[in-house]
Amino acid sequence: MDNLAQKSKATYSSLIYLCGFLLFWEWLRPLDTISDTGSLSVFVIYAAFCFFISILRPKWWLSSLLKLISLLFIIDSLFISEAMFSQSWFIVLKMHATFNMEVILNQQWYQMTPLFRSVLFLVLLWLMSYLLYYWFVVANRIFLFILLTFVYLTILDTFTTYSANAAIVRTFIISLIAMGISSISKEITREAIKQVNVKKLALWFIPLFVVIFSSTVIGYASPKLNPQWPDPVPFFTSTAEHAGFGSGGGNAVQKSGYGENDSRLGGSFVVDNSPVFQAAVNKSHYWRIESKDLYTGLGWERSTDLDLQEQDNDQIDLEMFNDSLETEDLTAMVRFEDDANLSKVVYPYGLTSIQGNQQVQYLVDRETGTIESEGGEFRDNGQGYQINYSYPSFSLDKLITSSEEDPEEISDLYLQLPDDLPERISALAEDVVVDDQTRYDMVKSIESYFNRNGYNYETNGVAVPEDGQDYVDQFLFDTKIGYCDNFSTSMVVMLRTLDIPARWVKGFTSGQQADEQAPNQDLTVYEVSNANAHSWVEVYFPDVGWVPFEPTRGFSSPVDFYEEASATIDDEQEEEETEETEETTEDETEEETSAADPRVPPGFEDFETGYTPNGSSQDSASIWGWVVAGVVLAVGASLLYLTRYRWVTRWLVSRYKKRHDAQAYQDAYEYLLKVLDHKGLKRNKDQTLREYARMIDKIFESNEMSRFTHHYERFLYRDEASSEHWSKMSELWENLIKRSLS
Amino acid sequence: MDRMTQQTYLYNSKVGKVLKNINKVMIGKDEAATLSLVALLAEGHVLLEDVPGVGKTMLVRTLAKSLDCEFKRIQFTPDLLPSDVTGVSIYNPKELQFEFRGGPILGDVVLADEINRTSPKTQSSLLEAMEEMSVTVDGKTIDLKKPFFVMATQNPIEYEGTYPLPEAQLDRFILKLKMGYPNPEQELEMLDRTSKEHPIHQVEAVMSKDELVEAQLQVREVFIDQNVKQYIVQLVTATRDHDSVYLGVSPRGSIALMKAAKAYAYIHDRDYVIPDDVKYLAPFVLTHRIILNSEAKFDGVSTDHVIEELLEKVAIPVRREFR
Repeated sequence: MDNLAQKSKATYSSLIYLCGFLLFWEWLRPLDTISDTGSLSVFVIYAAFCFFISILRPKWWLSSLLKLISLLFIIDSLFISEAMFSQSWFIVLKMHATFNMEVILNQQWYQMTPLFRSVLFLVLLWLMSYLLYYWFVVANRIFLFILLTFVYLTILDTFTTYSANAAIVRTFIISLIAMGISSISKEITREAIKQVNVKKLALWFIPLFVVIFSSTVIGYASPKLNPQWPDPVPFFTSTAEHAGFGSGGGNAVQKSGYGENDSRLGGSFVVDNSPVFQAAVNKSHYWRIESKDLYTGLGWERSTDLDLQEQDNDQIDLEMFNDSLETEDLTAMVRFEDDANLSKVVYPYGLTSIQGNQQVQYLVDRETGTIESEGGEFRDNGQGYQINYSYPSFSLDKLITSSEEDPEEISDLYLQLPDDLPERISALAEDVVVDDQTRYDMVKSIESYFNRNGYNYETNGVAVPEDGQDYVDQFLFDTKIGYCDNFSTSMVVMLRTLDIPARWVKGFTSGQQADEQAPNQDLTVYEVSNANAHSWVEVYFPDVGWVPFEPTRGFSSPVDFYEEASATIDDEQEEEETEETEETTEDETEEETSAADPRVPPGFEDFETGYTPNGSSQDSASIWGWVVAGVVLAVGASLLYLTRYRWVTRWLVSRYKKRHDAQAYQDAYEYLLKVLDHKGLKRNKDQTLREYARMIDKIFESNEMSRFTHHYERFLYRDEASSEHWSKMSELWENLIKRSLS
Repeated sequence: MDRMTQQTYLYNSKVGKVLKNINKVMIGKDEAATLSLVALLAEGHVLLEDVPGVGKTMLVRTLAKSLDCEFKRIQFTPDLLPSDVTGVSIYNPKELQFEFRGGPILGDVVLADEINRTSPKTQSSLLEAMEEMSVTVDGKTIDLKKPFFVMATQNPIEYEGTYPLPEAQLDRFILKLKMGYPNPEQELEMLDRTSKEHPIHQVEAVMSKDELVEAQLQVREVFIDQNVKQYIVQLVTATRDHDSVYLGVSPRGSIALMKAAKAYAYIHDRDYVIPDDVKYLAPFVLTHRIILNSEAKFDGVSTDHVIEELLEKVAIPVRREFR
């Protein structure tokens, strides 16, 4: 009967071990995707062989011999052309061995030969078969490995190109089967069931498989929640590639950055801090790329095809402003990151010439301000390019007194609105500008409207317009949260309902000041990342040209406005503009103020961190700070807890040794029991101290515990005054404690 | 049976010699010998329950001889009369007087063989002497000399024509033990030893009667701590609350356990009792003092089981309370 029971136990453990192998297989499967491992099937077969040998439980030398021979056989067939076990075969093997030993001694890991690496890997497989044999068969503890498998797969799925969709399902099924069988086998052992008949077994297995099948099907078919945490990969391996803004929409979380496709705006995004380019400039300012003119209700498109024309590199004129503007001639150097995926030139307002690779011919579309080169090679020379520009400042007087007669070609393009634009948008716009007389006043009213009326800057939880919904309408009236696209698009649309020509502009904010040394002292280097991608508004003033405005909460105006000395000021708002012109100096301390009160001066403060105004970059930094601090604290606390017996003992040893009262003896003895208990040597309550001491001594192979205990008994059961006893025994006690902890 | 051998302590020098003496004659009977000594030193009596021929008589005889005591044996038969035990007054025609002839009970070490074969009347005459330390014959009370030690035997397999001892009388034995068969090696050695002359003839007294009485007095002085006493009480009261038990251990049982524990500590040259003593002795002292209820008997529960269970349940005292 016992034989039979053993046999059935062996069957169960073999089945569990088989599951162990299948799980281990899941560890090997991704290797050819994520590493340069070749001939994966050979390794899998070898692993299977090792597992198979282990389950047969041969004598250890036999199993080692078999595994070693097959290992050599694999090495031979994969790497060595000489006849197996011939003299030259051994020579090759020896050469490999000596070479790799040297390599290891010199720590030049990458020079190890494939043969050697394969041997190491095969040995690892061999060891794994032992480890899993121990876990699954001897200890009957399978959960840990199952958990590790899941962790492994999820990590691979997240951080590598390996797709673990099928692997997770397989692992789930195998784990459930393994745990089911394991619990049956445990039950059989516990209840000491000698023989289980087939009918009873079916009673076990049918529910097991029904549960596995149904949970798998339900799990597979049920809808999956979107990731609750943003994809962590960009934080680790951020690249500018595939970065895109409004690249198709949908509810999927996007990454910040510059993208071509703006036809469907909305949706949340995560901040991608990977750098795009570095710019050495005299003053920080926005970088323009292009504008778009056609609002569809969902996003922006171009109403006309790009009309790219060759222009003389030395004389590029985008004709955005009237010549009469006051300008400042400046130079900037722009250098792109190697992996930046940007095919258009970024430039500041007032661009006059681009100097870089002489062979590059730039193509300019005046309407949108798009500048390209053939195949984007303008940034491939590694040097970047130098830009000369006449940076404009806008006179408030000119803007206020500017005529409102727009040329036809302007109003044709830049007053376009979708036919089904909700009425309430224009009603709102009318309402906002009801007190304003001039175009400039109206524009400023609309620009500042978002600052006061409950609109908030958010990158998370930003809605995408649903069927029949208008992007601007949704933002203005329903959600009231969004990022630059929401603010700028809304401003453009509202202006257009007031017949003010406006367009939507894309580019980058000025970026973060970088540590790098600028080519000359006047210049400061800024690093512009995908997180600095931005959109804003340009409004047409007939006598001035296209003037940029910044409606997004927390951002300040991209250009300077000034007031001519002769001008009369009778408007509160313009009074503020005066201040703004004065405060064009860069000032770190402005950050908080300008974020809190968006009506404070424009100018190129450092604080523009692209898409994360309102302090949210600090927020996320501080969140990460908290997370790191929390993790450090948790790790520290758990380390302290895990090693508590070591340091608590050190402290207690000195404390108890100082004490000479009887109680100290008892406390010390009880602490020793506690330490031993912690080490898994628990005293049962029906065990006398002597019995327990004998058990401990047997394990420690000494008689210290018995000696100590016999002594302690005199205190405990003889009621002898024990202060001197204790001081005599404290050495022995300390030894015992140390021995228990070692 | 081997629990004894686990206890590797020093023996009290005198008692150790006695045990050594017994060991010369008896093979592999350390435990029975030690327990007999425990009973002797605790001024109690032993009930030996075992099949014939395992050395009960030999044990008692060796014990008596080692202690320089007078050994008497009473073979209990159905027709034995109380006067056969206690003794009888006989008319002396010469002196014209009744003269008391003492029975075997007046010996120092008495073996009462197959005590359950005789009538209750005769049994009670023995048991009365054990308890009262005196016998009454023809209205005259005669005190028994010290030491006085009775080892009664009982055959567990033949029940026909027997008079099982009532509970009240079993209670008077401080402990009940079994001898058991020797193992093959021990039996082989026994054959070797007894092939020529029985070794009992070479046994010499190693302890005088006075020394024994002195030792008995010393045993009374062995210290027993409050928390060990509490342990005894907990054990005993636990027998009364056990589900399988119809009648638990009497307070006399507690006293017996304490006395035995003291003697056991004394044998191991210790002047204080530790819980180990109590735990070791509990099965020998307590099993014959409890009566199982009919369900437990029907389920095949034995008194040994019950005591074992209680020993697991009752916690060993390992703390001293400080005030």
